[in-house]
Amino acid sequence: MKHPIRHAVMIVVSVLMLLPFYWVIRTAITNDNIYAYPPHLLPRDPHPYNFVDVWYLIPFPRYLLNSVVVSVITVIGNLVLNAVAAYALTLPFVGRRAVLLLLLSCMLIPFQATIIPAYLITARLGLLNSYLGLALPMLSTIICIFIFKSAFESVPRSLIDAARIDGLGEWRIIARVLLPLSRPAIATNVVLAFIWSWNSFMWPLIITRDATMQTLPLGLARFLSYMEDTTGALYAFVVMVLAPGILVFLMAQSAFIRGLTAGATKG
Amino acid sequence: MTWWRSRWVVVPTLLVLIVLGWNAYVWTHDGGRIEGTVIDARGHPVPGAEVILYARSFLTNDERARTQTDGSGHFRFAGNASHALQLQAQAPGLGRSDRITLRLLFAGEDTKLRRPLRLGAAS
Repeated sequence: MKHPIRHAVMIVVSVLMLLPFYWVIRTAITNDNIYAYPPHLLPRDPHPYNFVDVWYLIPFPRYLLNSVVVSVITVIGNLVLNAVAAYALTLPFVGRRAVLLLLLSCMLIPFQATIIPAYLITARLGLLNSYLGLALPMLSTIICIFIFKSAFESVPRSLIDAARIDGLGEWRIIARVLLPLSRPAIATNVVLAFIWSWNSFMWPLIITRDATMQTLPLGLARFLSYMEDTTGALYAFVVMVLAPGILVFLMAQSAFIRGLTAGATKG
Repeated sequence: MTWWRSRWVVVPTLLVLIVLGWNAYVWTHDGGRIEGTVIDARGHPVPGAEVILYARSFLTNDERARTQTDGSGHFRFAGNASHALQLQAQAPGLGRSDRITLRLLFAGEDTKLRRPLRLGAAS
């Protein structure tokens, strides 16, 4: 090991960052209160019944289905719309710089500031209380457009020209040439879109009208209002909400990091 | 690397297999049967004892069914649809048992009590 002190510090920091997750999991598989004193580092009498309680005491399968459907729509929407938008931004056209500036400046506006117009548009489209309505504001995100844009710009221009000479149209250039060469950008889009959609709370809270359309974060808030305590079942629910996002991130982690740093250097 | 060895194929496939396996297990074990034995303070089986089944609603345990033990002190409930139960036995002259909590891995899981309900244990 070249840098033992550096590694030791990194291990300590990692442990400190993972400790809250460990504590949530430990509480989820025991009957201990999260604030119990003295705390027990190792779980005593671990059991899976808190997860069973969550599954049956609230309509968890329904919340899970809703979250999965909305996240899948969001991920597909992001991949398609962001790729198309990013490709357009790599092409020369009048006002391209203005469009880029507009998009960049829009990133400064917090979602809460646009939530009323977003709601009105969704209502006009008749999409309130629907899966498409739940996914609508996240179908395309500016940061992901720029991730695709930088990935597409790193593809040699000659390759695109060759594809065009071979008779490929613009859609097929995106699908057959650019996307297969931009896997890290795809992974980054998938992870970010999935996690943003999965964790979204405010938008589903506003546009859902009945409990059957609620997603997991809303279910968690509802469960918390029923189970006003700090014991196992609540944390079992937290684990069940967190697990898919963590799994997707772990699966895509290496490509995700490559995607974030792609285009950082040129040449 | 071949496409089927990709983690994007392996992990979802494993998850699907686990879910299918678990559902197959649930499907074959969800008869809602609960069986056990009632004994007296000296450990002898008690025929004709009444056993009460409580099922957990959100925060309370409500009585759902009653049955009687047979000649060898065994009892059996069928059609349980809950995942969190309590059981208590009682017999005239022998008192009551403790109300024991029974937690199941899924609603309606077939189960046998590991320890008998002992009458006279409840204060």
